[in-house]
Amino acid sequence: MSQAQQAAGIRFDHVGVTYANGFVGLDDITLRIDSGEMVAVVGLSGAGKSTLVRTINGLVPISSGQITVGGVGLKDLRGKGLRTVRSEVGMIFQSFNLAKRTTVINNVLMGRLYHTPAWRTLLAAWKRDDVELAMQALERVEIVHKAYANASELSGGQQQRVAIARSLAQRPRVILADEPTASLDPPTSHVVMRDLQRINAELGITVVVNLHFLDLARRYGQRVIGLRGGRLVFDGPGADADAGVFESIYGRSLTAEDMLPGHQQAAV
Amino acid sequence: MTTLPIAVPPAGDAPGTAGRAFGEHGHWPRKPRTWPRTVVIVAVICALTAWSAIAIQVDPATLIRNAHNASNTLVQLFQPDYTFIPDTADALLETVQMAVIGTAVSVALALPISFVASRVTNPSTVVLGIARFIMNVVRSIPDLLYAAVFVTVIGTGAISGVFALVLFDLGIMVKLISEALDGLDRGGQEAALASGATWLKADRIAMLPEVASSYISQTIYVFELNIRASTVIGLVGAGGLGMLIDKVRTFYQYHYLSTIILEVLVIILALELLSSASRKRLLL
Ligand SMILES: Nc1ncnc2c1ncn2[C@@H]1O[C@H](COP(=O)(O)OP(=O)(O)O)[C@@H](O)[C@H]1O
Ligand SMILES: [Mg+2]
Repeated sequence: MSQAQQAAGIRFDHVGVTYANGFVGLDDITLRIDSGEMVAVVGLSGAGKSTLVRTINGLVPISSGQITVGGVGLKDLRGKGLRTVRSEVGMIFQSFNLAKRTTVINNVLMGRLYHTPAWRTLLAAWKRDDVELAMQALERVEIVHKAYANASELSGGQQQRVAIARSLAQRPRVILADEPTASLDPPTSHVVMRDLQRINAELGITVVVNLHFLDLARRYGQRVIGLRGGRLVFDGPGADADAGVFESIYGRSLTAEDMLPGHQQAAV
Repeated sequence: MTTLPIAVPPAGDAPGTAGRAFGEHGHWPRKPRTWPRTVVIVAVICALTAWSAIAIQVDPATLIRNAHNASNTLVQLFQPDYTFIPDTADALLETVQMAVIGTAVSVALALPISFVASRVTNPSTVVLGIARFIMNVVRSIPDLLYAAVFVTVIGTGAISGVFALVLFDLGIMVKLISEALDGLDRGGQEAALASGATWLKADRIAMLPEVASSYISQTIYVFELNIRASTVIGLVGAGGLGMLIDKVRTFYQYHYLSTIILEVLVIILALELLSSASRKRLLL
């Protein structure tokens, strides 16, 4: 698939997020993700990983500071301007977020909605080029033979790959993934992570992926970012994320209980 | 890269607290006392029922005094005159036609309105509030009242009946479909919005397919309602079988009346079979 657009870099400048109930989701985050990088964000549940990636496409509005995606500032961005940024940022969710009662190809075509006029959308009269693009995206994640199957008929791993194809159909400059493997078994998790890795390597798209497990992060992220209580506690190459870093992110030292059964095979 | 086995600690308590047995000292939670409330509720319901019966003068004595009269009528009602069937054909056809048009128009209008009236598909709380208020008003008026109003304004006949059915159905349909939308999984919609779609596009592509099966199923239900309703609204002059029922009733032609009642029964039974068969077909 030809990428019409260059990958985009992301900058956080003293970003704070305060939720409506007063809870501080992100506290003074400053970081810079270069275009074409693959970054893994790790942290305990509630550390602010989802909040962080959701600020990058404006699903969570920032309260202070500034985020720029490919040079466009997101603070107070609304309407058409925000939709334009979103059209360049693909997102992959923990629970796949497919429309289950429609076909796989219709789900992938969702990635073209920004570029599809309202009348075409209402009639579901997709442009030929967009259908072509959607098929190519499905081919890239090796699931094109399921194009006209119902999304609900697919296994979890297949559904997540459809979701990846949907984000590819956007021809994105950035892909965000919020714990994309949390609903999958270990072997399938690796398939999905390798898909993301391939997309990053072959298409040069910037990838930011939230992961619950540090070992997955170390394995697939060139760079690991650790969050704890909405603050940045680690930012460095995966190889540097040792036991001391583990403690700073998870608030306790590594014990035998942290080893999952069958974990070592999965991590090799 | 080394394979340091680092994983997230299991969520929850520190080691040592996990194995503590519950209720070691016999302090089970007490069952809350609910019977005084139950007694009050039952007493209130009984009082309301008695008050209503007295107010509308339900008098068992009258029922017994009129028994002779009633039994004469009943005897006639149990002897339907089948030769009357051809004379009902026009009215019967009109009833079905009214039901078809009423269903078609109302479900077509109800679809977009339902999307405006669901908090899941409409981000504007102001527009949502207005839509819901209007639909509550529309739904609070019974079909017979709509029919009476349209007969007064437009005149007797099927066209008044169709208007009455459309408004009546609209209230029901929008309520059912917007509630179905409220209960849907919003994952696809969230993904569509995150890719830069407007709400209109996200709702159309991600939510419509999810609600489609309940929409079809409720359409069949509304059509059933319409066949029933269009026999009744005729009583106030809004066309169809109801108007015929009104005519034979005023002339005390109970043989004819029972023929019509039988016809309605057959149609409704047939419809019920048809709709349950089509539901099965559609796997609703
Ligand atoms: N809409 C919201 N309103 C209030 N608090 C929220 C909201 N969303 C998330 N939070 C809180 O923000 C914190 C971080 O959440 P999240 O970013 O989802 O963490 P993670 O993805 O790392 O598990 C949590 O404590 C969560 O309860
Ligand atoms: Mg999360």
